[in-house]
Amino acid sequence: MLTIDTQIENTHHILTPSGEIDASNSVQLDESIRHLSESGARSILVDGTHIDYISSAGLGVFMSYLEDFQEKGVSLKIFGLKPRVYEVFQILGLDQLISIFPDKESALAQ
Amino acid sequence: MIKLPSVHIGRLSLLLSILIWLSLLFVDLVRLFGEINNLNSGIAPAVTWTLEILFFLSVYSFYTRNFQQNANNEFLNLIWRSASTGIFASATFLIIQLFYLFLGDSNLAEEPFLKNFFYHVHFALITVFLISTTLLWKKLILYQKTKKVVQQWQTFEIGLLVAMFFVYFTQDTFGYSFIFAFVILMILGGFLSVNLKWIPYLTYKEKWKSLLFLSVILLTSIYLFLQANALSGERQIYPINLLDNLFLIALYVFVFIYSLFSFLVTLFNLPTSSVFEQKLTEAINFQRLSQSIQPEENEENVLDILLDSSMSASFADGAWLEMYQSEKNESITQVRWIEKEELPELSDTLESSQAAQEWASSQKADTLEPFSLKVKKGKYQSLLLVPLVINKSVIGRMVLCKEIKDGFNKEMINIISTFARQASIAVENHRLLNQAIENERYQEELKIAQRVQKALLPDRLDHHSSFEICAYSNAADEVGGDYYDTFQQAEDRYVLIIGDVSGKGTSAAFHMAQMKGVFQSLIQLNLSPGEFMIRSNAALSKCLERNHFITASVFEINTSQKLIRYARAGHVPTLYFNAKSQKATYLESGGLGLGILRNMQYEKHVDQKEFTYHEGDVMVLFTDGIIEAKNQKAMQFGFERARSLLEINHSLTPKEIQAMLIDTLHNFVGGNGLIDDDYSMMVVKFT
Repeated sequence: MLTIDTQIENTHHILTPSGEIDASNSVQLDESIRHLSESGARSILVDGTHIDYISSAGLGVFMSYLEDFQEKGVSLKIFGLKPRVYEVFQILGLDQLISIFPDKESALAQ
Repeated sequence: MIKLPSVHIGRLSLLLSILIWLSLLFVDLVRLFGEINNLNSGIAPAVTWTLEILFFLSVYSFYTRNFQQNANNEFLNLIWRSASTGIFASATFLIIQLFYLFLGDSNLAEEPFLKNFFYHVHFALITVFLISTTLLWKKLILYQKTKKVVQQWQTFEIGLLVAMFFVYFTQDTFGYSFIFAFVILMILGGFLSVNLKWIPYLTYKEKWKSLLFLSVILLTSIYLFLQANALSGERQIYPINLLDNLFLIALYVFVFIYSLFSFLVTLFNLPTSSVFEQKLTEAINFQRLSQSIQPEENEENVLDILLDSSMSASFADGAWLEMYQSEKNESITQVRWIEKEELPELSDTLESSQAAQEWASSQKADTLEPFSLKVKKGKYQSLLLVPLVINKSVIGRMVLCKEIKDGFNKEMINIISTFARQASIAVENHRLLNQAIENERYQEELKIAQRVQKALLPDRLDHHSSFEICAYSNAADEVGGDYYDTFQQAEDRYVLIIGDVSGKGTSAAFHMAQMKGVFQSLIQLNLSPGEFMIRSNAALSKCLERNHFITASVFEINTSQKLIRYARAGHVPTLYFNAKSQKATYLESGGLGLGILRNMQYEKHVDQKEFTYHEGDVMVLFTDGIIEAKNQKAMQFGFERARSLLEINHSLTPKEIQAMLIDTLHNFVGGNGLIDDDYSMMVVKFT
């Protein structure tokens, strides 16, 4: 089960997925991000506090926007990941490519 | 055992009846001769009576056999047989009368022997007509028989049998006892005569025919009766009365009553016959619709039957049927009796009718009933919209048109909506069946894919005296995205690879095949693990979908230097047991999954490391399916569990370590718990 909530705070679009992100619902996450990007969001923050699990298909979604966002100058930040979920990002090496922060404050500070 | 074929018994009884009739004739003529010449022939009347009874019985048995063998049991055919016998008997009577008319006053006309001969011919014909007709009526009466009717018939037959012997008891025709016995038989016959269940099953045309045949039977039986009566009047010529027999009279009255009843009931059934026929057609149509569609047939056949049945049930003047395709653009599949030019106009009428639109947009498809619509102008004044509903969604509609106002009554709508429901079920079954067949085919295809993919994994691993190796792979679906392989680059140099495509299933399997191709060709270049990853990334970036990536670990084992060089591309860290320190740890290194960065930037993230191995060291390469496997409490198998398991069991052989890890994994996940990802492992032990 995955539910995705989006909020706008100042100039930041905050995306809050809750539940498990796997092959069956990664399309949902992909759509939410594409929607934000197409609607002209410049700063996207993903609140990872409610992500219980992310599979390689879920990681693939974040990965697929890396180049696109870099070209457009859109900033993508993830914060509040649970240790086990962060570990998955780390093993794959995505932590080197996406800015990952322990909490919302530090994410907004940068 | 002597077996007499039944055909012979039939013929035997025919022969027997002819012989008995001849001996009856002979006996009576001898008696007549005696009376004329005033000689006592010494033949008692009882001899004649006995022969008469024997004649009855033999004719009865002949016809019983004859009708049993004759399979054609159609009602009309039965009635016709009786009528034709009657016509034959009457015609013979007429010819004999004409013969006498022709003789005029000649001596031959008064010849008693000739008269007696014809009297016996009359007797035989009347007996044959009455017995055969009675047996035919028996078939009609016992149509859709109940136990009670069968018992009644048997009682009647016994009564008739007894009646044959009545003549021994008293010769006083129409005496009290005679009338008493006759009344009892007639009450039984009357009870039987109300069994007319066959009549409604005749079609309108058949009813007219049966009326004709029945009137023939009635007329001939009246004629035969009058003739017999006239003959009985001339008692002085005929020394013994054969016709005033209780059996014959009872049969005669029974045949007459049943024919009369049948005639009247058929006559009064004529006006309602069309309704019964209609209902019968509906029942047959319903049955045709209920039969599920055979695989070689298609939906059109069912819709065809539906449209025809509905039109005949409602006497519609025109109709069409449209099935909705997935994108709501209607396609008209069947049109009946409506001109092509009229169709758009009628459709427009429906479109412009608010009530029809409301009906069509109703949300509750499963409770949608046929909808009757009045049209003010145009050829058709009433329309009936019938929905075809499958699985709570409307898949099409049938429109029936009639040229009269309020043309559809409740009964019609009921039967038509039943037809529509039945047809929908048939269509649904057909679609499900097709789906099942298709699924079956996909399953077959997947099995082939599975076989092909199994062949992509090595069936034997390269090994050397300085290490033992074994590997295992399992896919969550039929096919998976995990890959492992070994290569021998030189006498003392081996490369081990393990890889995992993001996602699972068919797309992962295709990428896995690409990964194998890339790895197999790059391995020929004798690259270092780091360089290998850079080249792999470049190659795979060109062929992987944008949101797919591959993680891999590459180990190069140099057996002469006892050196291991490795690089990790986002893959699960490899577990390594160090025999010296007796500790298992995960090999730390940086690295990024293949296909994530698709430019030269990737090189920055490659992190190649090396170390020397020792005897007793164990290396376990696996994919994330093992680490991420969850039990019922949503707990992951985890790195720590795998690590401590190796630490405890390091002394086992690689095969045993592998079996131990897989067993523990399955126990952890639980009895029926399925591991939702592909998982693979390769275990190497240095010696």
